[in-house]
Amino acid sequence: MPEIYAGIDVGSLCTKVVILDAGRNVLSSHILRSGGHYQGAAEAAFSGALESAGLRIKEISFLVSTGYGRARVTFSDTHVTEITCHARGAKHLFPHVHTVIDIGGQDSKVIYVNDEGRPKNFVMNDKCAAGTGRFLEVMAGALEVSLQEMAELSFHAQGESEVSNMCTVFAESEVISLLAQGTEKADIAAAIFRSIARRITGLVGKLGLKEPVVMTGGVAKNPGMVRALEEKLRTTLLIPPEPQIMGAYGAALIAAEQSD
Amino acid sequence: MEMEREKREEKPKYKFNRLETLKLIGPWVDAHWDGLRVAKKEGKKVAWSMGPLFPIAYAMDIPCHFHAGYAAYCGGRKGVPPLLEAAEAEGHILDACSYHRLHMGVISAIEKKLPIREEVMLPTPDIVLSARLCTEHTHQSDAIYRHLKVPTIAIDIIPAHRESDFKMLENYTKRQLTEVAIPFLEDFCGRKFDYDRLSELLAVLKKASEIRNECWKFFELVPSPWTLWDWGVSIAPVFYLMGQPKTVDYFQQLKAELQQRVDQGIGAVHPQENFRVYWDGWVPWSFLGPISRKLLSFGANPIVGKYPWEFFPHPEGIDPNRPIDSIVEQWYSYMMSTRSSPEFALPFIEESVEKYHLDGMIMFASRTCRLWNLGEQDIIDEIERKYGIPGVVLEADMIDPKFFSEGQIDTRLQALFEMMEARKRRRR
Repeated sequence: MPEIYAGIDVGSLCTKVVILDAGRNVLSSHILRSGGHYQGAAEAAFSGALESAGLRIKEISFLVSTGYGRARVTFSDTHVTEITCHARGAKHLFPHVHTVIDIGGQDSKVIYVNDEGRPKNFVMNDKCAAGTGRFLEVMAGALEVSLQEMAELSFHAQGESEVSNMCTVFAESEVISLLAQGTEKADIAAAIFRSIARRITGLVGKLGLKEPVVMTGGVAKNPGMVRALEEKLRTTLLIPPEPQIMGAYGAALIAAEQSD
Repeated sequence: MEMEREKREEKPKYKFNRLETLKLIGPWVDAHWDGLRVAKKEGKKVAWSMGPLFPIAYAMDIPCHFHAGYAAYCGGRKGVPPLLEAAEAEGHILDACSYHRLHMGVISAIEKKLPIREEVMLPTPDIVLSARLCTEHTHQSDAIYRHLKVPTIAIDIIPAHRESDFKMLENYTKRQLTEVAIPFLEDFCGRKFDYDRLSELLAVLKKASEIRNECWKFFELVPSPWTLWDWGVSIAPVFYLMGQPKTVDYFQQLKAELQQRVDQGIGAVHPQENFRVYWDGWVPWSFLGPISRKLLSFGANPIVGKYPWEFFPHPEGIDPNRPIDSIVEQWYSYMMSTRSSPEFALPFIEESVEKYHLDGMIMFASRTCRLWNLGEQDIIDEIERKYGIPGVVLEADMIDPKFFSEGQIDTRLQALFEMMEARKRRRR
């Protein structure tokens, strides 16, 4: 029976699964909202990915879980942090990568990757949620637009509004105040992305910018965020075809290595 | 769907071997804090010491608290949350030092007769002795004075930035002690300061800290027979329990037990010490349990750190015949918070990497105290560059649970150990 490997990334917002064949090719992937039950989300996402690949659970040779709920996935063979998994995934797709920026639901990370695709050093946001996926969701909610709409709006910004990058709650209040003052939503959307970009730039500054830089995580799918970050960092970000599954992809690659 | 895979069982693989001698500390610290309450009930004057001035209170036979010691005690005895809540109910801001807020919570509990467990409560002070080791200390005593209106004196221990400034700053501090604080205390007590008693206390302290420093050398051994937490618990006998003859016995007994472990090949981590890590910053008194369990799950031993060297590290510099000079010189000695900048910290950490065979660094950043967390990422980068060992910053607090997220700390520590494991494998 050919070896099949799987990675499950149970994040605070979404759970992602990637299944690989022996040649490290993606057989299937699945993404769903984590909700409040990590174990249930992991099982549902894993089932979805298995079904897409036409596989049964017994055919999985090795399974690695990662993300905030990694320890809750009791049916995984081992669990590894998302820091290691994003580094591994990014290195596999972009062999020359030096820096990985992952903006997750609840954490932002900047990871230096060594030649073997392992983290050499990393920094994460402190306890504040500013600069994370959750922050973006709250801001989109305040603007009453979807994340995609917020990105599109930001490209039409004319003015130079400012949003604090200190605290999600304060920033939400600021957005509401700006709306009340009649500021264009487009200007506010651009200000929100800039505020996150400042925050991430601060994290990058702790390690020093080392190119090439890969951006992973669901937030990398947001063109408004990517543009703001590229402008602030003054670099071009390399974005995987499906950045949101990079943690699960890295976990599956590690599963394959464990099996070697 | 039922997951038809075998469930991964996570049994604890490692455990700490507890030192028997350490069991003496609990009853002693209980007795110390209880002693303050008893003294007050018996009509004696008691002091609060915001900063390290308690030796001068002890010299005058005044039962005295020590603010960081009390916070550590309160954290260990799980008494912090209701006191911090009491302070917040008075409007104290969350960004202020949690040790300070804890004391403001005590004052609120005293004033409002809040139902706080007696064992973690302090009696109202009759005098407050404050010495600025950090920028907030003098403001803290000011806040206490505004509430309690008891005699309060503050001296300033200015941090040094260059070696060449030490002598000048020491002299300035000595003059504050002899010309301001001690006359103030004499006035309060109505009698002359007892320099002889201070000399006696320092003579015992000198002996105790000499043996304590011999115990420190056991950290050089692989595996180490003890942990930094054990060392942290052993601070009290050279700090606010100083001068008691039993403290000398304590360190003698501790040293003998450590030697016995070495002779029998017993390490602090059972069955084996996988990683040896440097711990920077405060000992996280309220969160030692979860952090220790996480470290232990990787077989990691926190070996050394600079914070525990805050407390009378140089017995050879203690001259009982020069009591005031000795105390001040210790405050300005190696590793005290008066030398908290990375320039002073880095050489110590660099030396530690090789001397103690370290595998990684954990920089514990306290949200409400940045005294020891200057340039932490710079230090990690520099050590990583020179010695190839990784480090991580953990953001939490000394005692405030609002700033502690077990999930976040879990991820950061696991990532650190994954990096350390990868480097070990590569070396092998």
